[in-house]
Amino acid sequence: MTDEQDLIQRLLAGEQGAYRQLVSTYQGAMRAVATAIVGIANAEEVVQESWLAVVRNLNGFAARSSLKTWLLTITANTAKSRLRKQRREVLLDDLTGPHGSIDDRRFASDGHWAGELPLWHSDSPEALLDEQALRDCLEHTLNSLSELQRSVLLLRERQGLELTDICNLLDISHSNVRVLLHRARLSVFATLEHFEVTGEC
Amino acid sequence: MLTCKELVGRSSDLLDGELKFKQRLAVAAHLAVCLRCRRFIRQLRLSQRVIRQLPEADVAELDALLKAMQAFRRDHH
Repeated sequence: MTDEQDLIQRLLAGEQGAYRQLVSTYQGAMRAVATAIVGIANAEEVVQESWLAVVRNLNGFAARSSLKTWLLTITANTAKSRLRKQRREVLLDDLTGPHGSIDDRRFASDGHWAGELPLWHSDSPEALLDEQALRDCLEHTLNSLSELQRSVLLLRERQGLELTDICNLLDISHSNVRVLLHRARLSVFATLEHFEVTGEC
Repeated sequence: MLTCKELVGRSSDLLDGELKFKQRLAVAAHLAVCLRCRRFIRQLRLSQRVIRQLPEADVAELDALLKAMQAFRRDHH
């Protein structure tokens, strides 16, 4: 029996520890999906409602998809049914993080780098994240991105979802996902670079 | 020959394996001769790993949520 099947059996048996494990593991991904669709202000409520839908439908979970895909689909559906109004336009807004992006100003007119590209002091994420100030700074950057950009970034990087899955969950086109992801990554890059150069946020 | 600016524009697609064969060759040819772009891609991959490992916020009011789920389960089964 896989870990996932084991978890489902324990959930069906009503084991409290299993529910705790389920929520702790998947809440972040569900929040990212909900935020992308209904916005941060309503995301918590959608996630709570989704959890109840999960409990209600657990007996019917047929393991045709992974548990994560199933949970995120329930979340996306709950969020979409919330959107009574016509589906909002996906705005490819230009919100960038507090340290800008890697934009035109970084390049000379011939398309080559205009100046040096600073070398970061460490090549291990653990060493970089060791500094609380940098962790706070990254949180600040993530919070400055548009809700959609942030969600797409977290679903891709932290949750490891495929681009196609993100498109399907959020009802946005493949090319929009690529643009959102790219802009978010460059904002994060700019923050890390800024911190590496100045030592502050 | 791809410029550095164009390479940066395609960098996310490179990370996600979204480049077509010819684009991949053009990127590889550029990286072979451009130190700054190699550094950029290396550090972009590093920032990707940093986000992956950035600690996630705890679930707010986890216990209250678990209680609600348990109660809901009792009512529906």
